[in-house]
Amino acid sequence: MRIFLNNPLYILCLLGLFLFVSPTKNLAADTENDPFEKTNRAIFEFNNTLDDNFFKPVAKAWRKVPDFPRKPLSNLATTAKTPVSLANAILQLNRESMGNIIGKFLINMTFGLGGLFDIAGTQEFGSMPTVEEDFGQTMATWGVPDGPYVMLPIFGPSSIRDSVGIGVDAITNPLSFAYRMNGIGMEARLSGPVVRGVSTREKYLDYVDEMRSSSLDWYATMRSLYRQKRKKEISGQLEEENLSLNILPVDVYDDPELEKSIATENNVEDLILEEEKITETAKKTVKVAKKVEKTVKNVTKKKTMPSDGYANPNGSSESKFIDNSEIAKIVQDESRKIMPSPRVYNGVLPSSSYPGFSKSRVNLIN
Amino acid sequence: MHFKKLFLLLLLFYPVISHSDENIGKSKVFVEKLGKQVVEKVSNTEITEQERHNNFKTLYLSSFDNYYISRFVLGRYWKTIDKGIQKQFVDSFNNYIVATYAPKFKGWEGTFKAVESLFENNYYNVKMDILNKDGPTLKMMWKMYINKNKEFKILDVNIDGVSMLVTQRAEFLSVIKNHPNGVKGLIDAMNKKTAGS
Repeated sequence: MRIFLNNPLYILCLLGLFLFVSPTKNLAADTENDPFEKTNRAIFEFNNTLDDNFFKPVAKAWRKVPDFPRKPLSNLATTAKTPVSLANAILQLNRESMGNIIGKFLINMTFGLGGLFDIAGTQEFGSMPTVEEDFGQTMATWGVPDGPYVMLPIFGPSSIRDSVGIGVDAITNPLSFAYRMNGIGMEARLSGPVVRGVSTREKYLDYVDEMRSSSLDWYATMRSLYRQKRKKEISGQLEEENLSLNILPVDVYDDPELEKSIATENNVEDLILEEEKITETAKKTVKVAKKVEKTVKNVTKKKTMPSDGYANPNGSSESKFIDNSEIAKIVQDESRKIMPSPRVYNGVLPSSSYPGFSKSRVNLIN
Repeated sequence: MHFKKLFLLLLLFYPVISHSDENIGKSKVFVEKLGKQVVEKVSNTEITEQERHNNFKTLYLSSFDNYYISRFVLGRYWKTIDKGIQKQFVDSFNNYIVATYAPKFKGWEGTFKAVESLFENNYYNVKMDILNKDGPTLKMMWKMYINKNKEFKILDVNIDGVSMLVTQRAEFLSVIKNHPNGVKGLIDAMNKKTAGS
């Protein structure tokens, strides 16, 4: 047991096992996928306190350091991450990333004086972007789900999968082996990640403060930012816009309740109009019925009074009683006066009253 | 024969294609014009805070589809509240946005440069560079559409793959979930933040 616990790879395997057996089905129902929210919030508070009292002052101090040596040190720390990024790009079979990482590395190691200057990022070299690949992304490309959201002490927002990735990257980094082989201590080994961390914090110094001050729930904002940013990185595309294009529509259409509510709201006016039309038609029908009833009553009163028969003692052949066809004709005539006959499509010219006529189509063409 | 069919097909869709092309150009002009108005009416340091607030509100309400945005950020909770609360929420949300963002533009100097506009799924996605006078260039993307009145309306602003609308929604849903008064609690929190800024 002690052997297992002493070996970080076994711990990672255990974490990986936890990731695969975690109840993802149940968690999928929770859109935030944050079952450890209470603990995460506590760690987040701790991180914020640490940030306020340590990282932020350090980042501010770092900002005051002149461009030289600040930028070369940042570049060097970024270049030092190249072996890990390249290894992951290979594991992902991502040729575009491989080409970019190798190209940038070679240019910066030669023209950039061993990685001190980011020459590849200048316009003369086509403004090559810095591509960073990690084992979390690699697992994502292999189809491993991200698992629940976790807030790591010091490291910040992550997921179970990405936490495993951080560990794997740290252990398998070729530079770690080189350090160990040359007997370099932990203090020196940490310089790269520390410089990278401080540079990143310095980069987002103003944005983070602004967002934090205006946020109603800073924890939830950070969680969302992390998720979106991670999604973009895992897409593996250098053009970030390609993914971001899909964020809004997918989100909208994936929310049937919202879609339904929007649809219902848009249809309210149509429904009211429809209802008004029905009420109007009903009123007209009642009006027709009353008029017909009145007319029929008058006619039948005139022609069917028993006295009428007696009033014709000469025995005329003319019928004194009204027949059903005559009543039907009266009803039809009265109805026509109030309600026009329905319009029927004659197959020649479409009109806006024709049911198949599409108003939107006409608007589109015009 | 195939060529003839293709020609007829192109002829049939020509009005639609030219219509979109024209609007693609217009969408870029719309965003750049908005940038100029922001500099003139909001960033201006010679105006009072109240004027800045009012000018930003006018620009926001005329350029953004604030009603759609309000519905989106409230997610599934939109249907659970009555019309009165919905209206209250829209008003509070608009004030919250204005109070949050208007002061941030004070003294800002820069240019909105539209790089490219794409028409996809009935949306116009305008990629742009915000050229800050003192700072790095910020890459943004505006998602907009043409409404019934044939006006452009912005739905979302995307910065480096992060959608502001999606972020805002995640935040609001969390506030509602953790607040005993739900949506009313969110409205109170927004009003408090607006009053405090």
